[in-house]
Amino acid sequence: MTESVGVAPGEPVPNPVITVDDVGIRFRRNRRSRRSFKDLFSSRVRRSTPGEFWALRNVSFSVAPGEAIGVVGRNGQGKSTLLKLVAEVILPDEGAVRVGAGVAPLIEITGGFVDDLTVRENVYLTAGLHGMKRGEIAERFDEIIDFAEIGDFLDTPYKHLSSGMRVRIAFAVISRLEEPVLLVDEVLAVGDKGFREKCYRRIEEMLAGGRTMFFVSHNERDLRRFCTRGLYLDKGQLLLDAPIDEVIDRYNADYPAS
Amino acid sequence: MTAAVPARRAWTPFARYRHSLWLLTSRDLKVRYSTSALGYFWSILDPLVMAGIYWFVFTQVFDRGAGHDPYIVFLLTGLLPWMWFTGAVSDTTRAFLKESKLIRSTKIPRTIWVFRLVLSKGIEFLASIPVVAVFAIFAGATLHWEVVYSVLAIVIQTVLIAGIGLIVAPLVVFFRDLERAVKLALRFLFYASPIIYSLTDLTDLPEYVYVLASFNPLSGIFSLYRAAFFPQDLDWFAVGLSAAISAILLAAGIIVFRRCERYVLKGI
Repeated sequence: MTESVGVAPGEPVPNPVITVDDVGIRFRRNRRSRRSFKDLFSSRVRRSTPGEFWALRNVSFSVAPGEAIGVVGRNGQGKSTLLKLVAEVILPDEGAVRVGAGVAPLIEITGGFVDDLTVRENVYLTAGLHGMKRGEIAERFDEIIDFAEIGDFLDTPYKHLSSGMRVRIAFAVISRLEEPVLLVDEVLAVGDKGFREKCYRRIEEMLAGGRTMFFVSHNERDLRRFCTRGLYLDKGQLLLDAPIDEVIDRYNADYPAS
Repeated sequence: MTAAVPARRAWTPFARYRHSLWLLTSRDLKVRYSTSALGYFWSILDPLVMAGIYWFVFTQVFDRGAGHDPYIVFLLTGLLPWMWFTGAVSDTTRAFLKESKLIRSTKIPRTIWVFRLVLSKGIEFLASIPVVAVFAIFAGATLHWEVVYSVLAIVIQTVLIAGIGLIVAPLVVFFRDLERAVKLALRFLFYASPIIYSLTDLTDLPEYVYVLASFNPLSGIFSLYRAAFFPQDLDWFAVGLSAAISAILLAAGIIVFRRCERYVLKGI
């Protein structure tokens, strides 16, 4: 499968496709608490008001094209936040994230689908928003529908689909974007076993095709199957950036399964 | 092995922006028209009913001392652009909240979430123009060459709504009360703007009322639209103020939006 890239983890790679440079992002502890106007218009230099915490801080790494990276850590340690930063759907409060290629984010994948529109309209809408041209979508349309096994429901409004079908069509669309970078955030926890295996095969195909991947999972077997390099996040810090086996061993040592 | 996947497409940022904006705008229109069989009819029914009510009240019940004849045409030339304004501004209060899932999963320039509303409501406005034409024919109103000013009015109104939207949309994420405040302000603005009356009607009142009303950017915009049938209503002082205030609001909107963007993304 993927062979490891000849650069020691933690070192800057030449011609990186993703560079995360001393990134920090803060969230409010209590989402309901209101900000004041004063807060909004004061400068955003390092100020930490009470009730806020750093979800990630001082995180730096870079990724070479073709690497498959597993992000490891307990719940609430910033894994999904890191993925969203790389997808550039949230912006860091400190530091910078640079992504030099198109991204296919398998994050909240069903989010872009509109209940009242049909499956067909939704496919064109979602793929279009991710930057595909109409002709390109038309070329891939049949294949997307085949993959999702949803041929009979093309003109059904999205809201009438079962939750399994929704995830299938969403995965089929996003995974056909043919972007060089793929972000996977535990979306595949849904869906039946057969479809999950199909998704995994699609991911393997894409990796073999030279794509760069970020993979968030709690499943050790999946991590070892896909990834070559691991990032271990704990309490908002990047504790370890090493080959995936080393990272998983360290994680298991820190938090032994009881 | 590290053979990178070849870059597939050649989008310029501008083409990509336009493409995304159009996708979301047409999605809005499609959703509105696919959920009700009477789609287009509904979008013009609201202003028609309102125009009918005001026509009845002011020409049949009271002896009207405002506006021009034919009054129904006078009303519609103000009401239809008003529907665009009020529809777009009240929709921008939910621009981010309603689409939070999509915003959390797609990376497109965030101003699109506001501009798509300006555009989709604007298209509905354009689609409602035949209604005025029909009434103008039946009521016997004369069309003047000043109808070309409508283009200018559309430009100023687009700038105005975009500016207000860029301010309102992000702030509502932090101050949910703002949604109600906006609704109230819009209701007030309906009577404070020359819709059921004309700006020239205010000249009978103390002078400061007229000056104050001219600072309402909608006054100048509506006088431009109305010039098509009522050229005597054209008021360049008000138009100049409208253009200036709209430009200032757009500049302010861009600044507010930039400042708030990162907090909005975290807050939704």
